Amino acid sequence: MNLDWLDAFLIFGAFKVVEIMGLGLLVHLQLGLTRVANFGVVGFWGVGLYAFGVAHLKIDWPFGDPYQFLVCAAIATIVAAAAGLVVGWLISDLDDDGTLVGTLGFATIVVILATTQQGLTGGALGLGGLGFPYDFSRVKTHEFTWLLITAAVVALIFAYAWRVHRTPHGRLLIAVGANEALARSLGKSATAARLRMMMVTSGAMGLLGAMHGVMVRSLEINSLDVSVTLAALAALILGGTARVFGAVVGVLLTVALFDIVIQFYLPIPDGWNTQALPVAREAVFGAAIVLMLIFRPQGLLGQMRRPALMRRLHGDW
Amino acid sequence: MTGEDLRPQILVRDVSKSFSGRVVVDVDELVLGDVPVEGLLGPNGAGKTTLMRLIMHSIPLDGGTVTLSRPGQRDVLLSATRTSQMAGLGVVKSTQVITDFEHLTILDSALLAVTEARYERPFAAAADRTVRKRHEEEIRHWLDYFGFDDPLAVALSGGDKKLLDIVRCLLLEPAVLLLDEPTAGLSEDHTERVKAAVRQLASRGTSVVIVEHDLDVIWDLCDEVIFMAEGKVLLKDKPATIRANPTVVESYLGAGSA
Repeated sequence: MNLDWLDAFLIFGAFKVVEIMGLGLLVHLQLGLTRVANFGVVGFWGVGLYAFGVAHLKIDWPFGDPYQFLVCAAIATIVAAAAGLVVGWLISDLDDDGTLVGTLGFATIVVILATTQQGLTGGALGLGGLGFPYDFSRVKTHEFTWLLITAAVVALIFAYAWRVHRTPHGRLLIAVGANEALARSLGKSATAARLRMMMVTSGAMGLLGAMHGVMVRSLEINSLDVSVTLAALAALILGGTARVFGAVVGVLLTVALFDIVIQFYLPIPDGWNTQALPVAREAVFGAAIVLMLIFRPQGLLGQMRRPALMRRLHGDW
Repeated sequence: MTGEDLRPQILVRDVSKSFSGRVVVDVDELVLGDVPVEGLLGPNGAGKTTLMRLIMHSIPLDGGTVTLSRPGQRDVLLSATRTSQMAGLGVVKSTQVITDFEHLTILDSALLAVTEARYERPFAAAADRTVRKRHEEEIRHWLDYFGFDDPLAVALSGGDKKLLDIVRCLLLEPAVLLLDEPTAGLSEDHTERVKAAVRQLASRGTSVVIVEHDLDVIWDLCDEVIFMAEGKVLLKDKPATIRANPTVVESYLGAGSA
């Protein structure tokens, strides 16, 4: 495959877009449907990243890739899902503010553990040695292939989120988010519904973390940055938390705009890419959240359109 | 239980509840379900709604027990049961305050009430239409009965939300149904429909308990009336007897009401 036309940094930019889109879709299920305000997205993603990296580098597996990758990615997913279960249980009786602080606290714990458990994680120095689960061409081709694989995983996450809206599970999540007491009176266990949702979405966040580890080929403590959470939340709030396409539109208008359009196609001065632009990016994302919450809290795509969906599903009623 | 009262009962024993030091419910012994339809009557602050909420365990009891007794089945201690398990046991309560699920349509609400837990898991294979197919008949019956012309819309008016709450309760096929002001804010026609639905339900073996400030509903519908004041059960008797009781007339109905 001749990829000379493709800039390697552009592959990374596109990877970030795809990755944040996946996280945004999962936050949509948490916040948009179930109204669980998870401010610790990077924690679940980071648990997956580090569980994958540690499992891959510290265990002497009797088989090589791609099986090693598959097993380690499964471990990352399971560990992140377990973290989602525990955190979900701990925050189950908290209000929105408590949930925000609780999930943020969890993300902080993950960062502290990743920094201090040097024997396992490499601490602040990090660990190198991760790689692609295949070897058939040049590095750029491998990276591009990994971008396509990650895009396929995110497409599956999109399909799952899209389907949730059309199933009794999605209806239950909306009901629990909208009126927990009423849902309970109908015999619905709001806690169990939330815990299941947290397990599935956290597990998927962990899988995306594992895929990130493969792309960057190392564990770096700097990657566990609040910017991951901020990007996913800013994109979703901009696009619309209650709509599946909210995360897609939001990511295109935020991460894609900064990490692809501005970085590669605008004539910005040298040096800005590494210094001024990342700072401006965070500031703009933060401002976007504040402005949207003030002027259009439902996001660009607006409220959930449940009647329209129900007419499509049950138009013959 | 004798042959005549083979219907579900709720046994309230030594139940008390205080808020900020003020006793709002203090019931020594009360059996609900002796007769098909019972009314809970009393002035504001008598403890009627709080008693219902204690039965549903949506607020914790300070003391005492609430037990569900169903013919041919083992008794269940409701005061040690989670609220979300009540509907599964057949104990269902309508809400006093008008409330609904934001975003969900009327049909959503009805489907939510009837969907079994196994269909609500994250990766449950059954499509929404499977659930609809299993319960379409009863949903259609109750939505048509209460005149919901467009079940695919969101309930907007307070009256529609109130009726939808009752529909959800009816779809749960309760053994014991607690109705907290079910006709408040409803038109005369809808009030009559609610009363007819309650009679129908009670005739099939459901024990119904109603709190209602529209006294005509109480006198028309109830086989027995319980009068509460200051958290205590003062009287339990036939509606005509309660209506003529001097204490009730003096403290609640007012002179000339009988």
